[in-house]
Amino acid sequence: MVEVKKVGIISCSGEECAGGGISRLAARHVLESARPGRTVTICLPLFLAGGEEERYFARTFPTITIDGCDKRCAMRATEKLSGQVTQALTVSELLDSESALAAPFSQRQLNGEREKQIAKVSAALTEAVDEIIGKPAAKDLLTPTTPPAGIRLL
Amino acid sequence: MMKRWGILPCNGLDKPAGQLAREIALYLAQDQAKTLACPVFLHSAPSVYAKVKEETQWLVLDGCNTRCASKLAAEAGFAVGKKINVSELTEKENLKLGRSLRLEPEALALAKRSALDLAAALFTARTDREEKTAAIPDGKGQTDSGVDFPASITYTEFRQDKFRFRVPQGEFFFNENDCWVWVQGQRARVGVSDYVQQSLSDIIFFSAPELGAEVEQFGVLGSLESSKAVFEVIAPVAGKVVAVNEELEGSPERVNENPYEQGWIAEVELTDWETDRELLLDAGQYLEYLKNKVADFHV
Repeated sequence: MVEVKKVGIISCSGEECAGGGISRLAARHVLESARPGRTVTICLPLFLAGGEEERYFARTFPTITIDGCDKRCAMRATEKLSGQVTQALTVSELLDSESALAAPFSQRQLNGEREKQIAKVSAALTEAVDEIIGKPAAKDLLTPTTPPAGIRLL
Repeated sequence: MMKRWGILPCNGLDKPAGQLAREIALYLAQDQAKTLACPVFLHSAPSVYAKVKEETQWLVLDGCNTRCASKLAAEAGFAVGKKINVSELTEKENLKLGRSLRLEPEALALAKRSALDLAAALFTARTDREEKTAAIPDGKGQTDSGVDFPASITYTEFRQDKFRFRVPQGEFFFNENDCWVWVQGQRARVGVSDYVQQSLSDIIFFSAPELGAEVEQFGVLGSLESSKAVFEVIAPVAGKVVAVNEELEGSPERVNENPYEQGWIAEVELTDWETDRELLLDAGQYLEYLKNKVADFHV
């Protein structure tokens, strides 16, 4: 039996819509700030290109996919290459289709509205992680890196 | 008609270099009106890109040396016109990316600068190529050359299973790395044999040797890449690179079509042909060598 210590997050790396950008920044936020030490990310392009370690992890450990839109590329690829995912989230369902299907955005185009969307998706992802692995006691949470004043670390 | 440019970034999530690749791609797509392909969508629904694939030559932006975007491009059969490795770019610029996907202003500035440079380079590549095409009467010619290469070549041919191997007759010499040389005076043209192109299958990228570079006999004279492997062209002669077949940068498949004529690699100003010649096989010797090699390895 495998003792579950970490959950893998596989994010859409989408360039087809804004949902892809939201999902990747939300995934990174969970990894680095919300649940550091309890989550790992799996690089989806590497996963697709044949990264055996990534595929092994996704086969063996619980994984959450976070897709930008209902094409659900991340979930479909994971289920095809590694097996069933533990939870599958979609930005277009967590937010709304209009936000998720907007044009892809660059970091220079991030604004307050987009930050709120990223935060909402991060919260849903964090909740999904906690459902699988349990909510950590405050003392068990790793301290995230302290960002410089005025900067929120994702 | 000249193909337009499209961009395929890696978008890697586990390294900020992927984010930088994405930013460069978005600059090019949004500010320079280039087609942008999503590597993930490309894999999960390749038919979506079927039409644009045929009309486009691709700039591939890899984040790191794992080169996932290149692999996905090869898997999808994209015609790759240019490749950039973002990790090499940051190393060259002496820029540390840190861990966060939120790039620092210096990295964003590099993204913008790189996108502008690439946009200019892609535009120049298009212009050069259009000029070349216009200068070639039947559209089948090659980059200017300093040798009077034979207009027609006689081949000896043999088959192994479904494969057909041709060995040109006349003043062609070969090394055991399956590269040929044709010499005229102090200048030589170099290429790869049918065996190389058959083994590699569809060649998707040509990395040219640097003009003016000095190469030793059995040194590396550029490389060819297919979805199967990367092949280093091993120089059969020593000398200075004085011409490269620039046509291959946009159409590397010419090596598959005809490795001895349209698909030549480079021309070299010879250092010591007589000495180099001693370590080469003539056409008859290479034919026998190749037959044995093919039989042994069951290509």
